[in-house]
Amino acid sequence: MSTRDVPLLEIEDLRIRVRNTPGAEILRGVSLRLWPGETLAVVGESGCGKSMTSLAVMGLLPEGLERTAGTVRLTGTPVPIGDNRAMRRIRAARIGMVFQEPMAALDPLFPVGRQVLEVLNEHQRLGRRAAWARVIELLGLVDLPDPERIARSYPHRLSGGQLQRVVIAMAIACSPEVLIADEPTTALDVTVQAQIIRLLKKLQRRTGVGIVLITHNLGLVAHSADRVMVMYAGRKVEEADTYSLFTAPRHPYTRGLLDATPNPERQATGGRLLNEIPGIVPSITDPMPGCRFAPRCVRRTEACRARVPDFTVVAGHGVACFDPVPRPGEVAA
Amino acid sequence: MTASPPRIPLSFVGKRLLYGMMTVFAIAVINFFLLQLAPGDAAEALAGEAGTASPEYIAELRAQFGLDQPLMLQLWAFVSRLFTLDLGYSFRYGADVADLIFARLPATLLLMTTSVVFAVIGGIVLGVTAARFANRLPDRLISFTGLLFYATPPFWIGLMMILVFSVWFGWVPTSGMENVLAFNTGWARAVDIGHHLILPALTQAFFYLAIYIRLVRAGMLDVLSLEFIRVARAKGISEARIGYRHALRSAVMPLVTVVGTNVGGFLGGAVLTETVFSWPGVGRLMFDAMFQRDLNLLLSILILSSVFVVVTNFVVDILYVLINPTVELK
Repeated sequence: MSTRDVPLLEIEDLRIRVRNTPGAEILRGVSLRLWPGETLAVVGESGCGKSMTSLAVMGLLPEGLERTAGTVRLTGTPVPIGDNRAMRRIRAARIGMVFQEPMAALDPLFPVGRQVLEVLNEHQRLGRRAAWARVIELLGLVDLPDPERIARSYPHRLSGGQLQRVVIAMAIACSPEVLIADEPTTALDVTVQAQIIRLLKKLQRRTGVGIVLITHNLGLVAHSADRVMVMYAGRKVEEADTYSLFTAPRHPYTRGLLDATPNPERQATGGRLLNEIPGIVPSITDPMPGCRFAPRCVRRTEACRARVPDFTVVAGHGVACFDPVPRPGEVAA
Repeated sequence: MTASPPRIPLSFVGKRLLYGMMTVFAIAVINFFLLQLAPGDAAEALAGEAGTASPEYIAELRAQFGLDQPLMLQLWAFVSRLFTLDLGYSFRYGADVADLIFARLPATLLLMTTSVVFAVIGGIVLGVTAARFANRLPDRLISFTGLLFYATPPFWIGLMMILVFSVWFGWVPTSGMENVLAFNTGWARAVDIGHHLILPALTQAFFYLAIYIRLVRAGMLDVLSLEFIRVARAKGISEARIGYRHALRSAVMPLVTVVGTNVGGFLGGAVLTETVFSWPGVGRLMFDAMFQRDLNLLLSILILSSVFVVVTNFVVDILYVLINPTVELK
């Protein structure tokens, strides 16, 4: 079996709930596979569980949450996500993480170079000089000008974009196999957003790192992801390659998301600039027996309220829906 | 390979020096008037102790001490002495005030420094531990014990410690600063003094320890919920390193402020501790001077204490910059 057949990162049936609160489930069985060299985008609105999925993979679930089921495998080997001690050798060394708020992600009391150095010192045995040289190299690798000066700067002296580059340098310092980027551009200016994504793609081409890109920015997804996974209220509802998902979304929720993106073309042809999805996301404690999107869905049927639809994959395009949007050329059932 | 050291501008030092001197001067003058409000004077106190003093004798003493002069003249004499750094003469002890104070200052400084160090280190270690195990058994034990010590009067803690550790177990001496009859020198003397020092220093430290634990615990809990702590965890570094290297450095700022303001309090607390343990320090000297209306001595000690507070606050400001590079001194 070649490495090509083993997913880099595999999550199976991950379930997370709030401790001591019956019925408060945040993840209701999420599975995903990331292949070597691939960028998988995880999309969904706030609270759908996409960040919790990434924190669970790192073994960094906030206190008060617990995993009730699910396994995580890295190149086929189970990751001990419940064991904080054992996870320390995985974090940053094999799975790097980039966070949402670069301004808050760095310790304000240490020069940023020292914070990159800390990762190296934790996982690699380099000499003092070699380690510092590597810090400078990493800062150069993330396209920071004058890395020597930046390395000695405190976080409050740097811009959000610069800080995010430092955070990325920290995440790739030990050449991890997987990079999880949790909304890496949300807190940044639009022009800087594109630069950061381009940087991530450049690093991917260089090292072949697999990237899980968590975002709610569909424009970002269209340009940078190979595959997209859409989540809604703690479940995966659709997954496909980026082109199929954008051109032929099958789940009504995905369709709604795309319609909720401002589209001047649609407006020019007499439509509205954007169409919002009516209703609100159900509360995590809502004991809904069926599809959690059903109350807001335009295509809901009787079955939707009674049972949870299975996630079925046809020709590489997976969807969890009883009555998905027909594929182009397909006649509605 | 490290960052350039934080700059401490000379203008800042100069300005603080000037303000500090003004503060000390103001405190000296205010204390001068405050002490005049207390009934009686040194002559009466001295004569009262003799028991058989005639009014003529008291008047003679007053003239000798300069207490018969108008108040403003006394103030003038006091202020002009102050500016020449002359602390005056204690008629009570028949010695220069400066000699009296400096003979006893080392004992007090030793006691104060030791107890501050005990309280700060204990506060940090226990506070960090409590925060790392927030609302679990170690935290509850630490918080309960801290509260217990905070709620118990220091002199009582001192007496109980003497009872337990000196009388029952016989581990440490009951009082005094050293065994003078042993004529120890060098290391032997240091060990002997250390032996005498443990109980009074702990007694003084316990009260502040409780406050420091709470400060550090609260500060740590604030910082531990910040995003950069989660990022630090994602780097794979140990919980202990996260606690002491990343969280503590931010969390310790309020502690620095409070320790700075407590240093004056430590001198006040020294009165009790030094009395309970017969520690030959400035606290006892101040206490006696008050009852004997030994104005020169008392005022000098009060000025010394205000100098302490001013200097400590200056040190605290410098510490801020060393701990937190985002602080700028102006």
